Amino acid sequence: MNSPASAEIGSQIVTLMAALMLVVQLLMIGQRMLLTSIQLFAAQSVLLAAIAAVVAFYHDAGHVYVVAALTIAGKVLFLPWLLNRLVRRIQIHQEIEPLLNAPTSMIICGGLTLLGCGVARPFTSLERLGNNTLAVALTLVLTGFFLMINRRTALTQVLALLTVENGVMLAAVALTTYGMPLVVELGIFFDVLVAVMVLGILVYRIRENFASMDTSKLNQLRG
Amino acid sequence: MPLLTFILMTPMAAGMLCLVAPSRRIMAGLGVAAFAVTLGLAVVLLRQVLVCGVVTEGREFLSADALSIWMVLLISVVSLATSLNAGRYFQRDLAAGTITPGRVREFYVLTPLFGAGMFLVVLANNLGVMWAAVEATALSSVLLVALYNRRTSLEAAWKYVILGSLGLALALLGTVFVYAAACKNNPQPLPSFNWSHLMSVARQLDPHLLKLAFVFAFIGYGTKAGLAPMHTWLPDAHSEAPSPTSAMLSGVSLKIALYALIRFHILTTACLNSDFSRHVLLGFGLFSMFLAAPFILVQKNLKRMLAYSSLEHVGLICAGIALNTPATIFGALLHMGYHALTKPVLFFAAGNIHQTFHTLEFRRIGPGVGKILPATGIAMSMAGIAAMGMPPFGLFLSEVTIIGGALATHQTAAGVLILVALLASFCGILQQLSRIIPGMPKNLQDSKRPGTDTALAMTLLLGVLLVFSLWLPAPVCGLIQDASRIIGGRP
Amino acid sequence: MNPNPPAIVLQTLLLLFLAPLVSGYMKNWKAKLQNRRGAPPWQVYLDLAKFLRKDMVLSEHASWVFSFAPYVVFLTALTAGLMVPMLIAQAPLSLFGGVLAMVGLLALGRFFLALGGLDPGSAFGGMGSSREMTISAIAEPALMLAVFTVAITAGTTDLSRIAQSTQDAAWKLLNPARVLAFAALFIVLLAETGRIPVDNPATHLELTMIHEAMLLEYSGRYLALMEWGASIKQLVLMTLLVNVFIPVGLAGPHAPFLGLAMSLIAYLVKLTVLAAAMVVVETTNAKLRLFRVPDLLSTAFVLAALALLSTFLFYGS
Repeated sequence: MNSPASAEIGSQIVTLMAALMLVVQLLMIGQRMLLTSIQLFAAQSVLLAAIAAVVAFYHDAGHVYVVAALTIAGKVLFLPWLLNRLVRRIQIHQEIEPLLNAPTSMIICGGLTLLGCGVARPFTSLERLGNNTLAVALTLVLTGFFLMINRRTALTQVLALLTVENGVMLAAVALTTYGMPLVVELGIFFDVLVAVMVLGILVYRIRENFASMDTSKLNQLRG
Repeated sequence: MPLLTFILMTPMAAGMLCLVAPSRRIMAGLGVAAFAVTLGLAVVLLRQVLVCGVVTEGREFLSADALSIWMVLLISVVSLATSLNAGRYFQRDLAAGTITPGRVREFYVLTPLFGAGMFLVVLANNLGVMWAAVEATALSSVLLVALYNRRTSLEAAWKYVILGSLGLALALLGTVFVYAAACKNNPQPLPSFNWSHLMSVARQLDPHLLKLAFVFAFIGYGTKAGLAPMHTWLPDAHSEAPSPTSAMLSGVSLKIALYALIRFHILTTACLNSDFSRHVLLGFGLFSMFLAAPFILVQKNLKRMLAYSSLEHVGLICAGIALNTPATIFGALLHMGYHALTKPVLFFAAGNIHQTFHTLEFRRIGPGVGKILPATGIAMSMAGIAAMGMPPFGLFLSEVTIIGGALATHQTAAGVLILVALLASFCGILQQLSRIIPGMPKNLQDSKRPGTDTALAMTLLLGVLLVFSLWLPAPVCGLIQDASRIIGGRP
Repeated sequence: MNPNPPAIVLQTLLLLFLAPLVSGYMKNWKAKLQNRRGAPPWQVYLDLAKFLRKDMVLSEHASWVFSFAPYVVFLTALTAGLMVPMLIAQAPLSLFGGVLAMVGLLALGRFFLALGGLDPGSAFGGMGSSREMTISAIAEPALMLAVFTVAITAGTTDLSRIAQSTQDAAWKLLNPARVLAFAALFIVLLAETGRIPVDNPATHLELTMIHEAMLLEYSGRYLALMEWGASIKQLVLMTLLVNVFIPVGLAGPHAPFLGLAMSLIAYLVKLTVLAAAMVVVETTNAKLRLFRVPDLLSTAFVLAALALLSTFLFYGS
């Protein structure tokens, strides 16, 4: 099970899927339709679950399968369903004009990718499976931050937060041999779920009160 | 007797029961009872910890050392006071129509859960569980901040939840890095993630990873603790929440985040054996203090001013811990306690003022609060004097201890800076509070407004504060000394 | 650099006769996905034959450029096609510069296409030409970066050698640089061949035309050459995508006849899959407004840039 050739293949698969996660993130940066953004997030979570499953397979770690299953149940099925329902209740399907237009955002994200790879360079020896998945994880965190600053729609800010979480989970899978202890993973899972539910309630109330999801209208409290 | 589990379960059970409680009185009673029970359990635990050092339960899942018990005491006291105050506060709000019964139920369900989350933060041994508990407290308090459903409440809640969640995501990344550092040279497949275990193997952890972990954890937990420059959510959230919740937020939830940060600080110092984390904490602590002082002076809103004052006190505690002498750490922990007793009084008084004048702006409240609301005026004056750091209240003692400790170990620059910042905030709070409390009210016909002048919780807190300022019981003193030994790294 | 006459003839014939068929099948599948019956795939041949037979009408304002352009478009597409390995791993023609020469030839064809649109002096032609140039200004760098990625990994710009370098290790095909470059090239393919979401090949509304606008003045023989050249260019780019990025099934240089047949089948299968993907993308998306096209192409550009960088970053030093 742990022969060098199969570990090599496993490493390739993990690297490939990490790169695909990065591609999905970049597609999300330029995306304007909210429902498509939610689907892209679901795709990214599927890739994360697949990476967890591959790691579980190659290290014979049973509890990491549980992590993969939780990711699918939570981030691929439940959360997109919840967010879709929210979008349909709010009936706003399009993104508001972002602060920076798409080509500029793309180039900035390219720069952030470089930064992420640069920061992760000294730690490449620590990675168990897959080269430079830590670089992709840090890039996901950085581009998630950028997405949150750039976009004004409340729902996209929620999605950006979720991609940052995805990046952190990817870092956990990349850096630690058997993932984190199950109780921690469960805690994180439920926290993310409850966080999105709370955020959903807030987004709905903001929509009711302000008649839009434009968070730049939330500017009364200053000083 | 699994005391620690009881401490966790009691408020959680109370919160769940409030979902189905038939009347408001029962809900209020449940809250008060739950936190009274936890206070009693905390006192019992105090004696146990003084004897054994550490109390653990659940195969080291929950562990309480002196620092944890000190925080448990603080949480219990502040939550109890909040529950006592909330009863009359929401009764008046319901009568005035500012809030619906559904939202009041929301408050009574979420507040014990908020408290339970905070207990879990200080009692959890596992760093990942500690993170999850901090996130749980953040989430439960978000809906509390948005309780009034005004535009400004929603704005404050949105900023709070977005900044808080982002910060906590970074803190999670820091936690992951710590775990990676633990995994690195470890032959065991799944090393323990317990803080106590990590402390015992601290020297073997990878220093670079741990440094990176501390930076991320600092940014993350620092955002939740309200350290500048990540504090921008603080004035909004603390001023828009209902006053009982503001008291809990300012009184203890900032300190909970600081507690998590301190745990990381201790681990980092043990591993790196350098002053890296100390310098970071000191720098940002001083920055927070200096940032808060001018904002206190120019504030137009009472609760925002109180929030900035909390920012300053948190900065002081952070700086005190960073100065790393037994005296300053003792002073910082003592300051945590006294501040937790003082700030809620100020917020409860602000709540009374809000319900009387229907505004929180200094200009519109006008002078003469002392005449219109006598009990509130007296309580607020005393708490204000305490918050400014004047004797005979304990905050004076703790601040002097910190500054004295700094000067004694030749960290004169830091000591002087702290003194200057404290003086600036002294002037600020004095000036702002003297705009409203003394003097003759503008409109003498408003002189008698009996309904809003309740001061039960405030009196209790002030009484405790005064007593403990003058006489610190030996067990408590011993507890704080043990706690400061844990932070100071000495066995 | 040894030109192989039988191979050249074979590949030329394959290009000439496969290209319109691919276009025909794509039109047919699009129609089926839209619940229409659609014209049969060989209708394209009949259309080309019809154009070749018909008379031409030339604008009196047109110059020699107008007449020259169709031949340039046709011949550059054909020559570029000869440089890409189709059935055997060694392309019949290999000019100096390899993939750079290929891209240059296609650029030359596009240049004359644009000139041919401008030459008769009609408003629609000029509009189409300017739009085409705008799009290609962003698509070209993405294309170059993507092919440079694979060229750097293989250490050469010769397309045949690039295809041969990864034939042995199948898992090397999945490294992130190639995946990112493939994604970037797919978007560029849509842009270069004038497909939705960049341009609608079936539109008759002047506001939405890009490629069609440049062809508006052409008729008869010239139109046949232009259309044929466009479909050959499409086939060349598709072949580049499937054979250089996924060189599975390419026969060796001295393969027997059976090997060639197997290679042909593999090639057709890969083309079918790619064509199906393009048709699905076309049917599920709406055409982008012109000022949004740079958004899409900048995504392709950044993907290609990341692909190039990842050859350095993802594998350490």
